[in-house]
Order: sequence, then C-alpha cells, then structure tokens
Amino acid sequence: MKLKSFFTFSALTMSAATYAQETTTSSTPLQISGSVDTYYKYDFSKRANIGTSFAEDQNSISLGMIDLALKKTTGKASFVGELSFGPRGQYGSVPNGNGEAANADNSFHIQNLYTSYAFTDKFSMTAGYMGTFIGYEVIAPTGNFNYSTSYLFTNGPFQNAGIKANYVFSPKLALMVGLFDDWNVYKDLNGVSHFGAQLTVSPVEGWTAYLNMLTGRSAGAPGTGSIYDLTTAYQVTEKVKIGLNAADYSVSNDNGGYSGAALYLQNAFTPGFSLGVRGEYFKSKDIPDFDGSSVTSVTVSGNFKAGGLTFIPEVRFDNGNTTRFVKNNLDPTKSASQFSLAAVYAF
Amino acid sequence: MHFKYNRLNQIHQATRSGGFLLLLFFSITGTVVAQGKKDTVDMARDERGKYIHYEVVEQKNVGVDLLKERALSFLALKKFKAVKAADTQVNAAGKFIINKTALMLSHPSGELSYNLTFEAKAGRYRFWLADFLFIPYKRDRYGNFVAATSKGRPLENSPGKLNAGEWTSYIDAAEKQSAALAAEFKNHLAVVQKVKAPTAKKKVISKSW
Repeated sequence: MKLKSFFTFSALTMSAATYAQETTTSSTPLQISGSVDTYYKYDFSKRANIGTSFAEDQNSISLGMIDLALKKTTGKASFVGELSFGPRGQYGSVPNGNGEAANADNSFHIQNLYTSYAFTDKFSMTAGYMGTFIGYEVIAPTGNFNYSTSYLFTNGPFQNAGIKANYVFSPKLALMVGLFDDWNVYKDLNGVSHFGAQLTVSPVEGWTAYLNMLTGRSAGAPGTGSIYDLTTAYQVTEKVKIGLNAADYSVSNDNGGYSGAALYLQNAFTPGFSLGVRGEYFKSKDIPDFDGSSVTSVTVSGNFKAGGLTFIPEVRFDNGNTTRFVKNNLDPTKSASQFSLAAVYAF
Repeated sequence: MHFKYNRLNQIHQATRSGGFLLLLFFSITGTVVAQGKKDTVDMARDERGKYIHYEVVEQKNVGVDLLKERALSFLALKKFKAVKAADTQVNAAGKFIINKTALMLSHPSGELSYNLTFEAKAGRYRFWLADFLFIPYKRDRYGNFVAATSKGRPLENSPGKLNAGEWTSYIDAAEKQSAALAAEFKNHLAVVQKVKAPTAKKKVISKSW
C-alpha cells in the first residue's frame, strides 16, 4: 500500500514537474536515462581468479546493476543525480552506504551527484560527487566496450567529490582544475586534500586526448599519492577506433604505486556487430622488502547490438611474472583465463 | 470454488490505491511508443538515392539579393555553421537533435547533421536539406549525453534488421524536423524583418490609487 502511494505521489509529482517545465522557456525537460546489466562468467580454473572489477562471480548468472540517472538544466544551471542498485553498484563500487563496513550489504551507490553552472559558453563550474576524470574505463557498463575491466581501472580512482572549474579555450583545447576529496569518498576526513587538473586536446576531428593529474594525501595514508594519466581515443574511420590509456601512480616515501598502459582496438564489422581487443600491461611498484609484480592481459570482446541491448561475449587471458593466480587444484600459477557473456541494456 | 467478479469494486480499488495512475501511465507510454514505431518511410529521395527535403517557393516582387539577405539572416539566427554565400546560392551545415521520448520525459539519443542549400531567382527560390548523417549519443561518465563517434552514418545506410525500428524512427524524425525547419525558413523569407523597438516595462505605482 505504501509502495502504491509512493507511485501515485511520484506520478503526480512528475506530471506537475513536466507541466511546470513547459511554461519555462529556458529549461529543458527532465532527462531520465540509465542501464541494466547482467552477466555469466566462467574462469577455466573453476574459481574466480582474475582481478577484474564487477564481473567477479564464478559459474553464475549474476547481476550487475540498475543505474538510474536524472539530469535537468534550467538556464545556466544544471544538476545530475545518478544512483545505482545491485552488486555492481553496491559492492563493486565504493563507498557503500555511509562507508561503514557493517552497512555495506544494504546500500545504493551514488555514481554522480553534482550541480553545475555555466557562467559563459566557455566557463563553467561544477561541485559535488562525480565520475572520475582519470582513466579510460568507467563504472557504468554502457561506457565500456569490454565487460571485464582493466587493472588500470580497478586500481585507479572511481569517483571524486570536489569542486572544479572548466574553461574551453577553443574547440581544440580545454582546461579543468579542481580541488577534491580523497578518492571514492562522500566526505573527506582530513579536509579537502587533493588537487586535480585535466587538459583536453583535440588536434584533429575524431581524436581527443586527456592529460590528467591528481595529487594529494588521503586520510591515514603514509605519503602523498600522485597519479598522472593519459587517456586518448581516435575514431580513425566510421568503423575503426583506437584508444590508449597510460598511467603512473606513486605514493611518496617509497610507499609503492603502479604504472601501466592499455591499448584498445575496435572494428565495427557491421552496424550491429563490433569486435574489440584490449591489451594491457600493469605493474605494481616495489616497496621496501617487497618487489612489485607485473601482469599482461589480453581481452577479446564482441558487441552485438539490437536496439538498446548489447550482448558482450568475451574471452580474457592474463599472464603474470609471478604466480598470482591458481589452478583447479589451488596450485599457484602465472596465468589465468576466463569466458564471460554479458547483456547490457541502455535506456 | 466460487469466483466473484465485481468490476466496479476493482476499478475503485485500483483508483484508490494509485494503481489507476500507474495503469494510465503505462497505457500512455505504450501509446507513445507504439506511435513512435513506424515500419515505412515517407521521406523523399533525390537522384542519388539520398534522403532529401526539397521545396520551390514563389516569392513575387522580391529580388534575388533581398531573398539571399533574408536567407542569410535566418541562418545566422539559427546558428548554422559553415555558411558560404555565392552569387545566388547559399550553403550551410546544420543539425537536428533526436530525442528518445516516453511520455513527456526524454533524453537525446543522437544528432542528424545535414547540408542546407539555397538558390534564389527573381520572384522565387528553392532550398533543400540533404546529406543526412546520424551520430548516436551515449552517456558519458558525468551523466551527460555526448556524441559516441565523430563519424556519422548516412541515413540511407540501414543498419540491418536488428536495429531497423530505431533507424526508421530517425528517418521519421529527419522528415518531421526538416518540414518544421522549412516552415520557419519560408516564413522568415516571406516577412519583412523589422528591428523590434524595445517595449517599455510596465510600472505599477502603488502610492496613487
């Protein structure tokens, strides 16, 4: 009964809202969009082995998440609110609930929650909780070609709360600078502690490069963490796309970090079918008394599209320089492989 | 076993609990979706087989220069790009935003770029919109809809059976938005443009009543 009342109230509220929008010329209608994803994964060692975000469950038809996003622009002001429900949002993303481990099982996840104001066509400011500007891949499955994620994505920031200013010098050049909280937190326990910047360069049509940096000392961290990242994509032809992500992360005072690069090649054989390969090299840095290890990964994914639905069959082979994986009998091994099939619907 | 069917009671229950509104919501949404789907395409094609919106308009007692001037002012007003004017011809590039709509809520699903060509003669002119290219939108990491690719797909190149329904709706949108733009364009060229004098703001003097 309460649920029905809620729906009634929602329907009335939305009707009122849409009526109000029609009478205001400078506002756009409320945008509602989102996605739903589900997957099956089989690791050939018969246990979850490869450290990918989200597609973790072995030999199980498992859920990703339902992602719901709202956006509204009135004049120069706009907001985006995006929430996700389901394992990909609740357990795969961080933080969960109020950040307390005890509340991790009963939460939704905020993907984006920010307001923005465009002072001019070139200058805007944004404040809130936003998808990170670092890296090639994103949390929402609709934003990635491959379903399993790269090591660079898994080890980098997912989101950043903060305030940022963006200035567009020309269609080929833009700069963002901002002050941010620690990675992946709704609130910062040691004050606004990070500085970040992004230089966007678009030398030719179809090619965009982002030079990113984020530095600061997180609460309880042994040193200052700094990440430098290059993310670029080039749509060579209508069918061929090339992407590259390279990053280096270091924590001062010999406290480790990582570096790596991932190359993405995609070809659309038909409007409904594309094939892509991701090759990645990832290395964790040495820390005193402990040598870092490296891993090479090759992922081949298909994208079958039918309307809003995309099927993603995928095979992945990982090979480390150390025995970081396990075999069927739990013996350590340097390599692992898996197959997955995902269905992603965007609306 | 006894089944009792009380239709009025069911309607009353549904209305009271909010189910009625839900039912109405889904009915309207279904209707909108059903109206949005179209199996056939009405849009005209040119000699090259490309989709086109083409019109010849009589505009008696108006010279070529004035028609061209009015056409250019319209293109400037609508912020067309790559505007090139020759003797009697004007070329420009424009785009339509295609919205995915359910009920009154929508979000952009792509854009259609096109070339507009205008030619004037004494007392008449013609114009056409052609070379339609579709670029799908996708949601970026910040929840904004942006172009998924920089290379558009010609509207004539159907993407196959699996995506035919959506593609037909894009052609339908191209036809409707072209017709709407053409109507605005013709209206603009038919009317002598006057600079509007600023209207004095109304003032309420509450002291003297």
